[in-house]
Amino acid sequence: MKNTLRTTDANAPAAPVQPLTTEARPVQQHQRRNPPIAGELTAISQAQQGDGAAFEILYNMHKRRVYSLCLRMLGNVAEAEDLTQEAFLQLHRKISTFRGDSAFSTWLHRMAVNVVLMHLRKKGLQLVSLEETLEPTQEDGPRKDFGTRDLTLSGSIDRVTLERAVEELPPGYRMVFVLHDVEGYEHNEIAGMLQCSIGNSKSQLHKARMRLRSLLRQNMGGRAGA
Amino acid sequence: MTNQTTNASKECSKFQQQLPEFFDSEVSMSDQPHLKTCANCSALVRDLEYIAVQAKLLLPIHDPSPVVWQNIQSVLTKNLHNDEQKS
Ligand SMILES: [Zn+2]
Repeated sequence: MKNTLRTTDANAPAAPVQPLTTEARPVQQHQRRNPPIAGELTAISQAQQGDGAAFEILYNMHKRRVYSLCLRMLGNVAEAEDLTQEAFLQLHRKISTFRGDSAFSTWLHRMAVNVVLMHLRKKGLQLVSLEETLEPTQEDGPRKDFGTRDLTLSGSIDRVTLERAVEELPPGYRMVFVLHDVEGYEHNEIAGMLQCSIGNSKSQLHKARMRLRSLLRQNMGGRAGA
Repeated sequence: MTNQTTNASKECSKFQQQLPEFFDSEVSMSDQPHLKTCANCSALVRDLEYIAVQAKLLLPIHDPSPVVWQNIQSVLTKNLHNDEQKS
């Protein structure tokens, strides 16, 4: 089986000092997943000139993505709504600085991520636990006597189940999992956002997936036993 | 027999400790020698790959409540008034 988990070199230097042109940069996974929306460019340039109706159009184009991002990162509706509001207010303040170096959605989502992270830091939440080492398979991993081959997840989980399992992850795990596996950020980007090392981001992601596996398998076991 | 089991789980530990790097390397998982002989770790890798693939399919499904836009609008209107009073 081909390793499908990566797309570009996460070990590349974090910030190449180059002029940022859209053509010259490798298309990030995040950007590919957020193709431009029809009418967006017009709305952006009108909103940049202070057109309130155009700003509302932009809000309606992007509210679902931004809210879902906040909700998945925070796991809490009230906070997610507050921070969606904050992200769009920040967008309103900063929209005149958008130059089109990246896709608008990429720019906006990054802004939303920063709003959420700032909020969590203010709350004193430790985003990435530095002390935790990766203990191989005490409870999360396969056991020899477990009949693992019979219990492969493949083909067994639907979106709702996965969504619920993601909600159950501890905040630090959930953050890296949402940023990398759901939103498509690279480890070097996440390391920058969370102010941790790339290795730390990788190990946190791994632990998150291991925990998810264990949650999903419990779920499977529960269903099989029911 | 006991000795063999210990060796096998040592191999598994070693392999699993390196997994975060393996997932993020250019080398294809299927070329990892340990996976050719270990069904447990193969199942583990399959599951983790499956989770990552499924995660990419998680779409945004929820809209924020209409109150969010109302709040944004009222803040923007207030800011506008303040700006006008200043000038
Ligand atoms: Zn093994």
